[in-house]
Amino acid sequence: MSPPSDNSDRSIVARGLTRRFGAKVALHPTDLDLGPGGVVGLLGPNGSGKSTLLRMLVGLVRPNAGTATVAGTPLVGDGTAIRKRATYAPGELAVYGELRAREHLAWLLRGRDDKALERALRVASDLGLPVDARVRTYSHGMKRQMLFAAALAPDVPVRILDEPTEGLDPSKRGAVLDMLAEDARRGTTVLLSSHHLGEVDRVCERLVFLGAGRKIADETAASVARRARTFLRIGYAREPGPDIQADVEIARIERIERVLSSLPGTRVVRDGARFAVHLAGDDPCAFLAAACAHPALPPPTTIEYGQLSLQELYRELYGVEGV
Amino acid sequence: MGREARFYVVAGLAYFVVLEMLLVGAVLFWPEFEENLETLRDMAPIAALKGMLDQIGVGGVAAYVNGQHFFKGCNTVGTLAAVVLAMGAVAGEANRGTLEVWLSRPVSRRRLLTERWLGGAAATVVPVFLTTLTIPWLLGFVDAQMAWRVLLLGALHQSLVLLPIYSATFLWSCLASRPIPIAFGMLLFTVFQFSIYLIQDVTHWSYFRLSDLDVFARIGATHALDWKLCGPLLAVTAILFCISLWVFQKRTP
Repeated sequence: MSPPSDNSDRSIVARGLTRRFGAKVALHPTDLDLGPGGVVGLLGPNGSGKSTLLRMLVGLVRPNAGTATVAGTPLVGDGTAIRKRATYAPGELAVYGELRAREHLAWLLRGRDDKALERALRVASDLGLPVDARVRTYSHGMKRQMLFAAALAPDVPVRILDEPTEGLDPSKRGAVLDMLAEDARRGTTVLLSSHHLGEVDRVCERLVFLGAGRKIADETAASVARRARTFLRIGYAREPGPDIQADVEIARIERIERVLSSLPGTRVVRDGARFAVHLAGDDPCAFLAAACAHPALPPPTTIEYGQLSLQELYRELYGVEGV
Repeated sequence: MGREARFYVVAGLAYFVVLEMLLVGAVLFWPEFEENLETLRDMAPIAALKGMLDQIGVGGVAAYVNGQHFFKGCNTVGTLAAVVLAMGAVAGEANRGTLEVWLSRPVSRRRLLTERWLGGAAATVVPVFLTTLTIPWLLGFVDAQMAWRVLLLGALHQSLVLLPIYSATFLWSCLASRPIPIAFGMLLFTVFQFSIYLIQDVTHWSYFRLSDLDVFARIGATHALDWKLCGPLLAVTAILFCISLWVFQKRTP
């Protein structure tokens, strides 16, 4: 694939993009400045507006307000001009089961250059898809990969993918993400959505977080990871013995919380018998050493560091419920 | 052949076979029908049927063929075909969940919908013409004949009658997400229209007055289409198609 010449031809820009469905605002006015080049992750829980935003960017859903320019092409009408310059893999996994995968790929690639089908068949083959089988015999994951192959094949400067790894097993997920990373290295801008942080942060250079139809944050993956490293979770076992009174146990947990909070440079939030600890820096060693050495604290049973779920990240970093 | 073209060809072929079978039976039955016309007239339970038999008595084989092929065959099977061909055009995609993937290609909605409309419209009218073209050959078996021009004008008129039904179903499909209610709704409408055709007091309200024996007798007499009928039919078809395009442009997958 040839690298695009102009940087603005490889970017995704949105200004005040808004969409309402009846009284419900699916996406509040949203600005984006993505690319040129690189993989950008659009993260958010179900119903956060990810798919609506992606569909608007390729003209499948008309915005109520705002403008967008994708791959140097302004969003007008039904977005055909944008879809000529950007591929889109829908999140909705509904396909024509009566077609063979080879025919289906050709159908998906209508309007693309002649070599796109050849490339799609190669991607499908790399992913191990039987292209002569009817799509109705495909599993959920195989159908997802077929849509991915069709989105990856055309020689375009921008790809917009709605949950391309949803339903894939870990090895296929890795293969798909590796292909996207490779594509981005050639200069393509890839915007992909997911609601699994751990899946996409390894290939995404930037992460855009949506919550309840609003853009909550837009930052580099390194910065998110750095912020995630300022958190750890520490858990303590219940007091042994069957006759422990609930109020005694609660008092014990509260005592642990007080002690943890008294340790320097920490903010502690209790969650049952576990504690989310906000560290002043990104090195947990001093805190853990102090916690383990403190005579008033029992030895911890679990310690989680730098591995926050999306839900936890939302709650801890942005103060909103992710899911 | 693409999956959409394949559907229209298969559906159109099935529709052609059914129409042709009805036509073969009707034409080969003509000598017996002609012989027993008076008896049949006496047995006719309602005035509308008596009137039709009178027209066949006057018009002969041409009126009989018009009645059997256009008024009966094409209006019943043709309407059914028009509804079946149009009901899933967009609602079928929505029902299957494939609307998004259908629209996600770099092809404009206008083009997608126009192609689909043309495919279904062709599958609705081409069998009418093809079956009509076999009439002279079939009439040879019963020592009768009809003018080609009258037959082709009849087929054209019948097509113009079917197209608004097709287009109305198509528009409904652009608005809806399930094809089955569309099928029931349209078929209920056509059954109702057929039933009121047979009631003398309200027969003039029936859509099928636009393609009954009177109309085809006029075509036979003048060797021309009646543009006071055909013009509005064409206009309604065009308007319904334009509304379909407008609705489809705004539709969210």
